[in-house]
Amino acid sequence: MASRTIVAILLTLGLGTTAAAQTSDDLFNPEVLQRLDLWLNSSDWSKLKAAFQENTYYPADVTWNGITVRNVGIRSRGLGSRSSTKPGLRVDFDRYSSGQQFLGLKSLVLDNLTQDPTGVKETVAMRFFSRLGIPAPRETHTRLYINGVYAGLYGLIEAVDKTMMGRVFGSIGDNVQNDGYLFEYNYVLGSAWRFNYEGSDLAPYKARFDIRTNESRAESAIWGPIEELVRLVNNTPSPSFESTIGPRLDLTAFVRYIAAQNFIAENDGFNGYDGMNNFYFYRLENSTSHVFIAWDEDNAFLQSDYGITTRNEENVLTRKTLELPAYQAQYFSVLSEAADSAVDWLRQEMQRQLDMINDAMVSDTLKPYSNSDYTTAREALLAFPQARITYVRCEVSKQTGATRPSGCQ
Amino acid sequence: MKRLLFVAILTAGAAVPAAAQNKGKRGFVWDDRPTIVFGEDVNIAVTGRALVEWRWFDTDLGENLFALRAGRLGLKGDLTKHFDWEVEREIGGGDLSNDESRIEFGDWKDVYVRWRTFDAARVKAGRFKIPFGLEQNTGVSELDFAYRALGSRTIAPGRDTGVMISGELGRFGYEAGVFDDDGDNAESSEIQFVREGEDLKDVGPSFAVRVTGDLFRALPVPGRLRSANVGVAYTIADVPEGLNSLRGASFWGTEDFVERVYVKGRRQRYGAQFDWSPGPASLKAEWMQSREQRNGQSNRDEDLSDFIASAWYVAGTWFVTGEDKDDNVNARRPLWKGGPGAIELAVRYERLAFESASKQGTSFTNPRAQFLTPNSDTVVTAGVNWITSRWTRVILNAIHEDFADPARTPIVGTTSFWSGVVRLNVVF
Repeated sequence: MASRTIVAILLTLGLGTTAAAQTSDDLFNPEVLQRLDLWLNSSDWSKLKAAFQENTYYPADVTWNGITVRNVGIRSRGLGSRSSTKPGLRVDFDRYSSGQQFLGLKSLVLDNLTQDPTGVKETVAMRFFSRLGIPAPRETHTRLYINGVYAGLYGLIEAVDKTMMGRVFGSIGDNVQNDGYLFEYNYVLGSAWRFNYEGSDLAPYKARFDIRTNESRAESAIWGPIEELVRLVNNTPSPSFESTIGPRLDLTAFVRYIAAQNFIAENDGFNGYDGMNNFYFYRLENSTSHVFIAWDEDNAFLQSDYGITTRNEENVLTRKTLELPAYQAQYFSVLSEAADSAVDWLRQEMQRQLDMINDAMVSDTLKPYSNSDYTTAREALLAFPQARITYVRCEVSKQTGATRPSGCQ
Repeated sequence: MKRLLFVAILTAGAAVPAAAQNKGKRGFVWDDRPTIVFGEDVNIAVTGRALVEWRWFDTDLGENLFALRAGRLGLKGDLTKHFDWEVEREIGGGDLSNDESRIEFGDWKDVYVRWRTFDAARVKAGRFKIPFGLEQNTGVSELDFAYRALGSRTIAPGRDTGVMISGELGRFGYEAGVFDDDGDNAESSEIQFVREGEDLKDVGPSFAVRVTGDLFRALPVPGRLRSANVGVAYTIADVPEGLNSLRGASFWGTEDFVERVYVKGRRQRYGAQFDWSPGPASLKAEWMQSREQRNGQSNRDEDLSDFIASAWYVAGTWFVTGEDKDDNVNARRPLWKGGPGAIELAVRYERLAFESASKQGTSFTNPRAQFLTPNSDTVVTAGVNWITSRWTRVILNAIHEDFADPARTPIVGTTSFWSGVVRLNVVF
């Protein structure tokens, strides 16, 4: 009798410990390939795939690690990555019940990885950003099952929302710093934008910056400061640039962000090939200051000899910031720091993640590329870090006049 | 502009004095409306109606403020004493403040022929109202308010194409019919999802039955109450899989306070009605409920509890000018004879509510939830009806809406709304 009681107590404690231990950090633990189950009416899954270009929500149940959250809302998501066979998904836990959360999260994103044959560019890039102190979502991989059937390997991405802002910007006293204005940059097809002033009408800024918090506030309160920032960036001469723009944009954080993005050779980022793309923009709570939040880096690691000043002259904000000697110096310094950080980490992290996802990737029959494509891309990716480190170090020395390291051509 | 012209012509037509009526004649006569009489019990009459209104809102709901609510033209007539018939079509309503150059025809309304040889069994075939709902089956020009109660507009099915038998048996009347779909008010919103191997299914057919009677005549109740009429009604129809449930639209239809949910199976309606018109006053009340099955509609393809819509109203009216409340109100002191016309006060209290049969666990608003978060709209309408002639009536209503769930109202966070309407009815 006593032994049974002890076993029962141990089991209870064990179960209790498991439940208590599960946090959003566990969910996004990059060391673990997760399994996530979505249960939704079979007709809804067919409809979602048929109407994958629409943002229609469908109700679903989510199960992870023994925890089930009922009646969440899921929808197709993405821009170029939208797919009818392997849809990218957004999961909103509070869609049908305003107070419902999962591990403290209101939402998460299931990245279908359709634009990256390696499957790890996005997750490696975000971990690298976090190492460099750049605000970035937590990410890992998951096997996704729809109604019990394997639906492929997905990236499990922390949604950039109020919850994440609270995590990133912390609290002042009891006040969580997540009541600022959060914007998702909206890439407008056929209208490349490089921070040029588009006039005093708020409409162009409203079109490019989708508000994600404080949606009910007046348009002037939401987009007015963005119009002002863009206007001042364009009109302010160098001598007063820092004193004018500094209170409205964290220039140090901005330079860190674009330098890191350049190091990972992201061709579709802030200084992208078709204008700005793939970032969130956050106006801090009770502040005029804005910061950039990293998002969607699955085009990273393009090529190791990606120029370290690529398109820096094209974007008005980048150009005018880097015209200031202090920020130019910081830019090259961050590139060097990124190279140093990558030396003992980047290739190992790529290898680790590739090993972790390998079986799930190979058995994913819905991915839009073959296993042969995956193998080729994987090898090319693993060759990137060492070549990039050497290239960046050589180019930085060239730009700054520092002593050239060995291996430079 | 042509819409305004249409209204003006109808108004002028209605202004033709009652003296123009001429019963017993053949050829063209004015018998409440322009009529061609071919012989005894063989005639064709022109019918028309225009409902013009001006609306007022305490909060901008984006609605038209000056509108032709409904315009209709039709023909009706008798074909011997055995048959009568009617054809009526809507003429596009809409915003009268726009200078639109075209009048467009809208939906067909009543289109039927009726065999009426025997009072105990009349047979009607065509498109007409399903026998469910006292107020829904009352013509828009005879309503005591500018708009029907929410339940009459939402749960009661309205018109459909079908065949119905009806008649009087002693103190009781009955109607029973079979219809192609399940009424205009219950039209499906979603292109129905069809699984591989399944056929596309329509709503319906539906079956409806209503029994009414002067039940109080057989009961030991005060004399005046014996004239009260009561009734019960029932409908049943098959509803195909999809977002095909009934929905809760706000009074002005600007927003849904309960959106459609996924259903599959049977839709059943239950109704009860009370109608009492002692002298210049009237008291009407209805209760109705629909229950829709949700077979296989959960997130895991399992059955969900029924989706339930319930509604009721109580309405009272009183002619301050003393006229009897019956189908054809004639002013004691008509306007065209220098009198005030007939003036009636009216008030109605009503509610339309939605919920799921299951109340266990956490409620959700999602269309596949076992326990749906309930919501309701409670409306008070108070008004004055000024009957200026047999064909014209001015209705003034003040309307107060109150929603239970602040997250699902026409303006999120605001639960109460005032609005008003002034309506000119021209009907012949």
